[in-house]
Amino acid sequence: MSDHDDDHIIEPHTSTLHTRREFLRTSMLGAAVSLSVPVFLQKTFFTLDAMAADSAVQTATGKDSPILIVLQLAGGNDGMNTVIPYADDAYYRARPVIGIPRESVIKLNDYAGLNPKLVGLKGLYDEGHLSILQGVGYPNPNRSHFRSTEIWQTASDSDKTDSYGWLGRYFDSCCKGADPTVGVAIGNQTPQSFAAAEPTGVAFSRPEQYRWLNGDKSGASQQIYMEMNAPDPTDMRALDENDGGSIGSLAGTSTPSRHGESNLEFLQRTALDAQMSSDKVLSIARKYPASVSYPRTALGDSMNLVGRMIAGGLATRVYYVSQGGYDTHTNQVATHARLMDELNTALVAFAQDMKAQGNFNRVMLMSFSEFGRRVSQNASNGTDHGAAAPMFVMGGGIKPGLFGKYPSLDNLNSGDLAYNVDFRSVYATILDRWLRAPSKEVLGRQFPLMNLV
Amino acid sequence: MLTPLQARQWDLQKAAHLLNRAGFGGTPDEIKAFCELGMDRAVQTVLDGPDDSLQFPKPAWAEAKNLFEMHQTMALMPDADRKAMQQQIQKQYRQNDLDLINWWLGRMRYSANPFREKMTLFWHGHFATSVQKVRESYLMWLQNETLREHAFGNFGLMVKAISRDPAMLIWLDTRESKRDHPNENFAREVMELFTLGIGNYTEDDVQQAARAFTGYRIDPRDETFRFAPFQHDGTDKHFLGKTGPFGGDDIIDIILEQPACAKFISKKLWEFYAYQDPSPAVVNTLASSFRQSDYEIRPLMSTIFRSAAFYSADAVRTQIKSPVQWVVQTAKVLDTPLPRPQITVNALRQLGQVPFAPPNVKGWDGGKAWITTSTLLYRYNMANFSVGNGPLRIEPVRRVANVQGPMGNGFDVQNYNGPDLAKVVPQVVRGDPRRLVAYLCFRLYQDPLTARDTQTFVKYVSDQGPNLSDDALRELLHLMMSTPQYQLT
Repeated sequence: MSDHDDDHIIEPHTSTLHTRREFLRTSMLGAAVSLSVPVFLQKTFFTLDAMAADSAVQTATGKDSPILIVLQLAGGNDGMNTVIPYADDAYYRARPVIGIPRESVIKLNDYAGLNPKLVGLKGLYDEGHLSILQGVGYPNPNRSHFRSTEIWQTASDSDKTDSYGWLGRYFDSCCKGADPTVGVAIGNQTPQSFAAAEPTGVAFSRPEQYRWLNGDKSGASQQIYMEMNAPDPTDMRALDENDGGSIGSLAGTSTPSRHGESNLEFLQRTALDAQMSSDKVLSIARKYPASVSYPRTALGDSMNLVGRMIAGGLATRVYYVSQGGYDTHTNQVATHARLMDELNTALVAFAQDMKAQGNFNRVMLMSFSEFGRRVSQNASNGTDHGAAAPMFVMGGGIKPGLFGKYPSLDNLNSGDLAYNVDFRSVYATILDRWLRAPSKEVLGRQFPLMNLV
Repeated sequence: MLTPLQARQWDLQKAAHLLNRAGFGGTPDEIKAFCELGMDRAVQTVLDGPDDSLQFPKPAWAEAKNLFEMHQTMALMPDADRKAMQQQIQKQYRQNDLDLINWWLGRMRYSANPFREKMTLFWHGHFATSVQKVRESYLMWLQNETLREHAFGNFGLMVKAISRDPAMLIWLDTRESKRDHPNENFAREVMELFTLGIGNYTEDDVQQAARAFTGYRIDPRDETFRFAPFQHDGTDKHFLGKTGPFGGDDIIDIILEQPACAKFISKKLWEFYAYQDPSPAVVNTLASSFRQSDYEIRPLMSTIFRSAAFYSADAVRTQIKSPVQWVVQTAKVLDTPLPRPQITVNALRQLGQVPFAPPNVKGWDGGKAWITTSTLLYRYNMANFSVGNGPLRIEPVRRVANVQGPMGNGFDVQNYNGPDLAKVVPQVVRGDPRRLVAYLCFRLYQDPLTARDTQTFVKYVSDQGPNLSDDALRELLHLMMSTPQYQLT
């Protein structure tokens, strides 16, 4: 299923441009790059030149490159009820009501085990396709959802703010000039981790809606839509302004913003990305039904979509998926069990799908949450915001195992588990060893690598 | 320095710009009438609009409850009855959320004083509070009224009012803050997000301020602010270089003395109304007059709306419409009612801005963050629906502020008639492709397009033959809204 040529996936009835490169070849190559060309096109144009000269720059082909799936467990997953220190009496003392009974824990070793709902993940662990990272966090943890999420998304120190995301900096550093689908966020929002000096990436959740609808059957309006949503290569604004002084400013004329891209240019670029990606996404979704059955949950739907995009060869390096609902302050037992079940069934289906496609060795999934939760249950049989927590890394080509040490329940840091693995070591390992990108450049300094890949 | 715009420079485009930014835009006739007022009277209209509260009576459910009695009654109920009653309350809240959002959007759409609503929207994004945690729609309505009351008033009084606002007391945990265990949430955000900006206070200032805001409670008998002296820490605090047995209002007064406060608020207002990243000179000019006027908002807004910089190329048609602006302005320029509440609210959710449910206390990031490939296409498809061209897919959720995903795959909503074409396009321009496109450019963008883009649309109309059908006209409207240009205002 995986060995499909991109060019044959596109439906023949449209003349949509598939990539920025193709767009430039058909409409701009040969034309002199003048000052009237929008900034982002100039950048892309020069980037293409640079790419030709420097073959070391990676381009995703959609057929053989490694793929990373980042799964955000939004709201702060209760790490202690995910990977459970069942042999520690302190755990049951701190959680008399919400603690997972010792006998139902799925044992990993003589100290820790998995939530009983994660039975499928245990299977993947046993067959060597899942690693479990214990006690992941960062120094001076912040307990605000907003701030801690930002720290994870930007890989910054907790006392510094960064405007770019760690994946955005990876795109900037290694994927210049790539198709906009190099980064795909499932949903309506672009995650902060995609924020970049030269932003790229698309977002969608339902392929059948990820397209321009219209009330015209003739095709004429499709043509106009395409023209209006691609930048004008012979930009007429300069001319208009010369002969129409009394008109004032023209619709959408704007001044460059901080990074040299005006809001109009930004909209034009996003419109072009939407136009170029929507036909491709829709046609892949139509041609590649899921090869296995996924659970009908929000996360199941998202993983299903990722699986189909991978089957169809979308030239994506990073998929971003999110599962919400983890902010379990009150009566968490049933809620958390449901979330664990949804996580387990969706990931197991995805792993089966990747195996069936023959793509399991190409994919790595990494889960994270902005923080774990307090060691002790609160007065409402829930848990409040905490610190260090486990991460999962799944894939056909990873080195499996139980990494890091389970944080001590006796030696707490302001009532929370102390981290012993900096999450940026996980990022660094994935960048260096999986995406084959220079982690020091992307993360700003060298973090110790782990034996994950 | 901010030089005022000269009266003779006032024209249709500037009148449209003021209507768009200070409010939610208008029809060509409204723009013309606004232009004829001249700049002085137009700005005066913005600042001294009529009281519209009789036109928009509060929702019937927006009444304080006696929670004390309610809880007593429920405690005595058999378990099954109590569960049923709790479910009934949840159901009512869900309905009230929708009702509340619709009530406010309707006020933005139809008020004779849309400028106050736009200002209220600014303050809602500034003092961003979500029904997701507050739960009770009544308290969200009450906060909205407080923001409206102070919208053009005194900033210091507004911050003090907000510090006692029941929804805020819940949202940032002030009501939980005890003398022996002060909660720092409000104390931190009041400085970081509401007044000074990060870097203008220390962690120690946060802790000291937290002690001053202890004892703020909600009276369960009528859901109003109540000060509980026994839970208040009345000892000395050392805050921003001063020492005294400060209470919450004293803390706010000391904050207002900081030059950083006037700068922070002036800059944020300028960025919301005019453009991003103003020069330090612009910010300093605004901030010093803001401080001199003792934080009166009305004169500050008057300075902004009369400045040449507000009407410069940096400002005009450079702002990405927020989803709320998009929805309300679209209804205004197409002269249609808002679509049904469920449709509008679900569309706003897809587009990333549900009023009363900002993502966090920082509010909406706005600007470029409104736009992804997904939200841009949804805007285009919402336009298709708004002109009466076809269905729109919506994905209902249990409660608008829910973080969990939608229930199921969603469904198509149809049967929206769209605009009255005879009203939106005068017969006299309909037969002339060039005049039609120019007219619609003014109606939709309040600005001409480039020659090339104009030609693209003129050719489309010409190709339809001599008698432009209603369907083709609707599709033209849709096409002109399916553009980067329509996302700007």
